[in-house]
Amino acid sequence: MGNVVPVDEFTGEWYPGYKPEHFDFPYWVDAPKPFQPGDENAFWFLDFHWSRGLTPLAATLWSADGYCWGTQSASEKLPLPPGRGITCRFAGTHLYGSPIPESDPREIGARANRLGTNLPHFLQNYRAIWEAGRDELEATWDYFQGVDFAAVPTADLGGLIQQGRRYHKRAMEIHFDVMYPMLVNFLGFYGACAELGIDTNLVGKFLQGEDTKIMELDRELYGLAVKARNAGLAQVFADHEPGDLRAALSAHGGSASQWLTDFDDFLAVYGHRSDATCDVGLPSWIEDNSNAFGNIKTFLLKEDDHDFDAAARNALEERDEAIEIARSGLTKEEQAVFDGGLAANQAANFPWWQDDHNFYIDLKVMLPLRRACQELARRVDADHKDDMLYLFWPEVLDVAAGKPYAGELKSLVADRRQYFDHWHGRRSAMPKVLGAVPESVEDPVLIEIFGINPGSLRAVQNPDAANQTTLTGVAAARGVATGIARVLQSSDELHRLAPGEILVCESTSPNWTPAFGKIAAAVCDGGGMLSHAAIVGREYGVPTVTAAGVATLAIGDGDEIEVDGTNGKVTILKRAADLAGA
Amino acid sequence: MTDALVWVDDVDPDAAIAVAGSKMGRLADLYRAGVQVPQGFAITVDAYRRHCAESGLDARIDEVLAGADQEDVDAASARIRELFAATPMSDALTASIVEAYEELCLRCVDVNVPTAVRSSATGEDAADASFAGIFDTYLGVSGPQRVLDAIRACWGSLFTGRALAYRLRKGISHHDMPIAVGVIELIHARASGVAFSVHPVTGKPDRVVIETSWGWGEAIVQGLVDPDHVEVGKSDGRVLKYDVAHKKVVSAFDFADGRVTEIDMPAKLADRRVLDDEQIAAVTAAVTAIEQHYGYPVDVEWVIARHRRAGDPICIVQSRPVTVVATEAAPAAYDPVAVAQKYVFSGKGLPGR
Repeated sequence: MGNVVPVDEFTGEWYPGYKPEHFDFPYWVDAPKPFQPGDENAFWFLDFHWSRGLTPLAATLWSADGYCWGTQSASEKLPLPPGRGITCRFAGTHLYGSPIPESDPREIGARANRLGTNLPHFLQNYRAIWEAGRDELEATWDYFQGVDFAAVPTADLGGLIQQGRRYHKRAMEIHFDVMYPMLVNFLGFYGACAELGIDTNLVGKFLQGEDTKIMELDRELYGLAVKARNAGLAQVFADHEPGDLRAALSAHGGSASQWLTDFDDFLAVYGHRSDATCDVGLPSWIEDNSNAFGNIKTFLLKEDDHDFDAAARNALEERDEAIEIARSGLTKEEQAVFDGGLAANQAANFPWWQDDHNFYIDLKVMLPLRRACQELARRVDADHKDDMLYLFWPEVLDVAAGKPYAGELKSLVADRRQYFDHWHGRRSAMPKVLGAVPESVEDPVLIEIFGINPGSLRAVQNPDAANQTTLTGVAAARGVATGIARVLQSSDELHRLAPGEILVCESTSPNWTPAFGKIAAAVCDGGGMLSHAAIVGREYGVPTVTAAGVATLAIGDGDEIEVDGTNGKVTILKRAADLAGA
Repeated sequence: MTDALVWVDDVDPDAAIAVAGSKMGRLADLYRAGVQVPQGFAITVDAYRRHCAESGLDARIDEVLAGADQEDVDAASARIRELFAATPMSDALTASIVEAYEELCLRCVDVNVPTAVRSSATGEDAADASFAGIFDTYLGVSGPQRVLDAIRACWGSLFTGRALAYRLRKGISHHDMPIAVGVIELIHARASGVAFSVHPVTGKPDRVVIETSWGWGEAIVQGLVDPDHVEVGKSDGRVLKYDVAHKKVVSAFDFADGRVTEIDMPAKLADRRVLDDEQIAAVTAAVTAIEQHYGYPVDVEWVIARHRRAGDPICIVQSRPVTVVATEAAPAAYDPVAVAQKYVFSGKGLPGR
């Protein structure tokens, strides 16, 4: 195809006061940086994980320690024969990822040989490997839980901040060391199924139905909504915005007091979660209750309770049925191959891990660093508790080491907040891809997590995307539903979703999960068969289409749309303007 | 002097293909192997040779061919085929064919039994696929005179334009590939079809593939009807797939005209599933047994007779070697590294996306 989308518009200046040494971190193959001339020679995709944009500290730490350390080291260790992990660039506050190809045939062959040794070793020892990594991280988490941040001597805060960053970096090593081989195993099985003539829409279903820590959290949250209704508190929730609910419930007294106690008990166990992957810029549910309150508020708008047990049973029945359908069309010899692949994937179940690991890694690993930065802000008498998050890493260490937080640094933070807000407003117009767009990609993370495939690559390059009335994507969760579309930029807007409406967004992450208890359907620009939305869509029985490419461009907020999750099709039935005029 | 006629159930198996051509020779071979085949006889290669020599046809054919080149093979073909139609058989040969036909009527307990008169060339569809199916077959030929005419028409089909062009290009003399003709009982077909002992496209050896429709198999063989498609696991006989097609045309016996011809499929049969599980098992058993007999993959044409009852074998009317071979051996066990290399890191994009 050879289509090149220029990057010029995004080169040049970055965050006010940015200097290249702010990105002076170790990396394996390619370092993160703002877009530079020449970057159009590589392929870049807009990363849906951070649709709000990233503050200077969030941007540099995630890109350096997540992508350019975590993915690049993991793809050397496994290794990926033709790939060396993911690197990234910034267009304003928005992160673009890029797969790093390995093109030397001899090197690819040598790497393939190593994969031949390492992948079976991983699969044979998957449980021990993952649990050891998880337990190591939980031990570090417990260490931070034991730290009284307010009592740490100021002289030691810098050390605590360093520890917080190392916790995140180590978590990213473990994360991608496990994710790459699991994905490779899953995608190999997916390809084998396709070659066996199995309907590939069934493949995700083969592995669904196993309970995860995130699903457990959702059930507990839903349980709180049921408790609120039974305690006669539905009206209090209806009358107040999420941010005001704690005060309103305290004032209400009576049954509300007990409910608040239950709510705080819930937060003590499940509240150590932020609303995006590894974003130091976002609060946990304990720091900011409004998302938890907002979810419960919308649950209460729903007439019928979501039946988690029934959904779980259905997911299991659907799984068994899908396996039966697939096996019945195979010869005995093919069944032996299929059964081997299924067993390997049931043992190292990627869809399960993809949901479960978020509880232990993605949603909380930045929280200790965030708390340390907030404590530093308090000690230096900053105007806002999040000021340190608008500094670059060396600047934060300087402040922790005693450099006065005043004058130039303070005004830089003010400028950078403006810069963040400016780019936040540009998010919906950011190109989905930049640089030299290929016809297909080989990095498993790009294929499965981002849903980048030949079809979605064509879709995002369609200049007429905004006027499309039909979209195709991955048939992620079956069923057909019609409803009003709510096009959300981030989970901050989840409260806009009314029951029975259809969620349209770039992609979802675990903090979006509660929405699936009330929506009629979901459509995402990105994400594959095993993206978060696909997994949760199947668990909740919500028709879902992922990797639609340009759903957030083509579908307008308030449009009436039909989502066919069985066939991966989305149709815009009526535009919001026409509905209003009718 | 060798016999002018040989019966399928009575020919020396070692000489069958040499005297009766590959099609009839294989039928005789299947009969000996215990496969249910139709009754019939062949007018031998030798009888054809003698007819051409004694009637003066050889000289006249050579005369036509001497003036022919690649450009006007069709004109040459037409002239030679006219010569075959106009040249009578010797009285002795005519008498033996009529006698054999009457014997076939007796064996089938029928008057003027309808037959299939099939060309059975030497070399046809054995080594060179380009000859497969280009010689004539007449279905539903009934009565001695029609049988005699059909035999001469089959002889003439050795000189179709395509066959002539091929031999000219390759420098082969028609004397080197004489033809035999089979006269076999026309099985009254309820359903018929083809069956492959391996997948005809992928070459996968783990399955039998069956294509079938109502009536005679001509409409399937000639590609006039979209047949039902069935795949059966070879090792356990399980039906893996049954796709019912919308079958628009059927090869049926036209009693007025005395031959099998293609007519519109009756609406009530068009979308109906042709084979039940017992019939699928019978076809599978037959094609698997034939593959085992020969030791290489085969395709067969088969017929389910109207009078067939469950448990009876089905009738095989033709068998050929299959030339397709699997591009790669199917894996015996799941290998996560191999599938990753093949599907994830191939540079071709994940299949099924």
